[in-house]
Amino acid sequence: MSQVDEIPVQIEATHGNVRPILNEVMHALDKLLDKGITTTIDLASLPFAPGELNELEATFGKGELSARLDALGTSRIRETTYPGVWWIEHRNVHDEVVGRYLEVTRLPEILSSQDADIMAGRARLGEQFE
Amino acid sequence: MDLLEFARGPALQFAALVLVAGTIWRIVGIVLLSKKPDFSEPRGPGGLGAALKVIYTRAFTAAPFKKATLYPKIMAYVMHIGLFATIFLFTPHIVFFEGWTGFDWPGLPNSIIFFIGVATVVSGVALIIRRATTPVLKLISNFDDYFSWFVTMLPLVTGLLIPVRALFRYEDLLAIHILSVALLLTWLPFGKLGHTFLVFITRGTTGMVFERRGAKT
Amino acid sequence: MKYKPTVGEILRARGVSRRGFLKYCATTASLLALPPSMIPRIAEAIENARRPSVIWLSFQECTGCTESLTRSASPTVEGLIFDAISLDYHHTLQAAAGEQAEAARHAAMEENDGNYLVLVDGSIPMGNPGYSTIAGISNYDMLMDTVKGAAAVVAIGSCAAFGGLPGANPNPTGAVSVQDLVKDKPIVNVPGCPPIPMVMTAVLAQFLTFGKIPDLDKHGRPLAFFGNTIHDRCYRRPFYEQGKFAESFDDEGAKAGWCLYKLGCKGPTTYNACATVKWNSGTSFPIESGHPCLGCSEPRFWDKGGFYQPLSTGHFGSGTKLAGAAVAGVALGVAAAAAGRRRQNKYTKEA
Repeated sequence: MSQVDEIPVQIEATHGNVRPILNEVMHALDKLLDKGITTTIDLASLPFAPGELNELEATFGKGELSARLDALGTSRIRETTYPGVWWIEHRNVHDEVVGRYLEVTRLPEILSSQDADIMAGRARLGEQFE
Repeated sequence: MDLLEFARGPALQFAALVLVAGTIWRIVGIVLLSKKPDFSEPRGPGGLGAALKVIYTRAFTAAPFKKATLYPKIMAYVMHIGLFATIFLFTPHIVFFEGWTGFDWPGLPNSIIFFIGVATVVSGVALIIRRATTPVLKLISNFDDYFSWFVTMLPLVTGLLIPVRALFRYEDLLAIHILSVALLLTWLPFGKLGHTFLVFITRGTTGMVFERRGAKT
Repeated sequence: MKYKPTVGEILRARGVSRRGFLKYCATTASLLALPPSMIPRIAEAIENARRPSVIWLSFQECTGCTESLTRSASPTVEGLIFDAISLDYHHTLQAAAGEQAEAARHAAMEENDGNYLVLVDGSIPMGNPGYSTIAGISNYDMLMDTVKGAAAVVAIGSCAAFGGLPGANPNPTGAVSVQDLVKDKPIVNVPGCPPIPMVMTAVLAQFLTFGKIPDLDKHGRPLAFFGNTIHDRCYRRPFYEQGKFAESFDDEGAKAGWCLYKLGCKGPTTYNACATVKWNSGTSFPIESGHPCLGCSEPRFWDKGGFYQPLSTGHFGSGTKLAGAAVAGVALGVAAAAAGRRRQNKYTKEA
């Protein structure tokens, strides 16, 4: 593009947040197996040095299942290489990231069909027959 | 004007004025005193060489007293070297001096300075306890001794509170620290703290006079 | 009294599914720096909230705050305006003008008496009301008139919160802040030059969700975003602790991303969310881009020493004063020595 892209970027600083998150996820998985408790970690609440978030994403990787949700923008919900650990990324209508979460659960709530939506859809279907 | 602006501005300015006026007052007041003429035959050269020699040799305890004074000696050196390091080898302080003198020099990492600072406070506390408890020192110590100790320790303690973020917000801790330095600088020319600039003059003078008389220095 | 639909009803009417709504609540929780466990509570609150009316007053300002807000990622300001809040009056964004616009303002004030939010950007000139007027009404009159029935006032940007650039030395217009004038309404200050857009919308989202203003610090700023200094969240902090500083712009230290303390960074005394929330949807913030923090969310930051003067620089005042002190010292010293010598001679004579 421009010469700006040629400036080499050296990243020496680190917040060291990757390891603690891995640790937290490990404990969350224990809680899930023992007591069935879901844990959500808001990645926006933690400071990351440049490059650390990518490191975290690479560490968790891509699992078997990934879903795309189109509601008020696109969201990507995918299981990581650690079953039970889901990487959720919400984007708005302008494709800007508005939320990033790690959810340790059997199935993220947002993937299930919601009662209010089911009822609205049932009503619509009923109208079809009238 | 908030506390920090006051501390960095008028308070430090006032302290600087008092420091300059007071220091020059004391030095001039001492140096201009009349010297008793020495009519004896000089048994040694005296002069600047002797002055410098004694400034150096007085740093070491004379042999007969070494054992008895080992503990306070070590504590005092820890305190003085610690003060020097925390004041002159801490980068934000170096930046302060650079703004004032234009000179810059490398500093030590913050964690090392913090450790030295803690050691300095410990040695200071140990020494004041010694002063207050040993019979001779207790007898001869006065307000000057204790107050000079207090105004020296206060900047150290308030400075250590800053990285710890204890008690107040950062900018208030910084303001209190700078105000304590202003207090120190205001008191420094007067009382026992004046030894900061007088010690070399007095040691030097002792050296000159006594070597001329043939004493072993 | 017109029926006011809840936000939940409005969203459903616009075809937003429950999943979309949950996503919105999750991002709002993130925005408000609330833990994910609060999401159900937020969902319930928003579901049942009534659309508040918002009146935006622009006074002596550069429009940077409005610009910043319109760049806000989520909720988008259009989304905010149309789906959540009802922006009944805004000089720059509204289509109406002149008397029509003023009529709309008064209508909103009457209809929502006691419940509307007043957002202010820009300082208010008190030197001469003619310095800044809208539709012939002085800023001061418009402010005092509009806040009468307000539930709360949000001062957006450093100008409205603390006086900002117009209020800086020598303050030719006599500019003052909102809190200098409004004494009987809750005020939230959202300073910054401009404030981080996400922070602005978070305060509005907070009001929408919980119907009350957030917890504030001693300067009236929301603790959620102004509770920590830049220094305490800066990713370059390890360099500060290790003593690795950039000495000048573009030197090796600067290129390696070292601490900018020596270049005048005001991070240690500046409370804001730049180091965590960052700018442009989390792209970067001034320090990450290599420029020291200006301290723009602090009161009177324009007059707190230079932007490139390190924080620990002392302000010693004039050299003349110090020279005067030196002369005074010499004089005192000579006087003291003279007195001393008299005593010395007296004793020598006696001996």
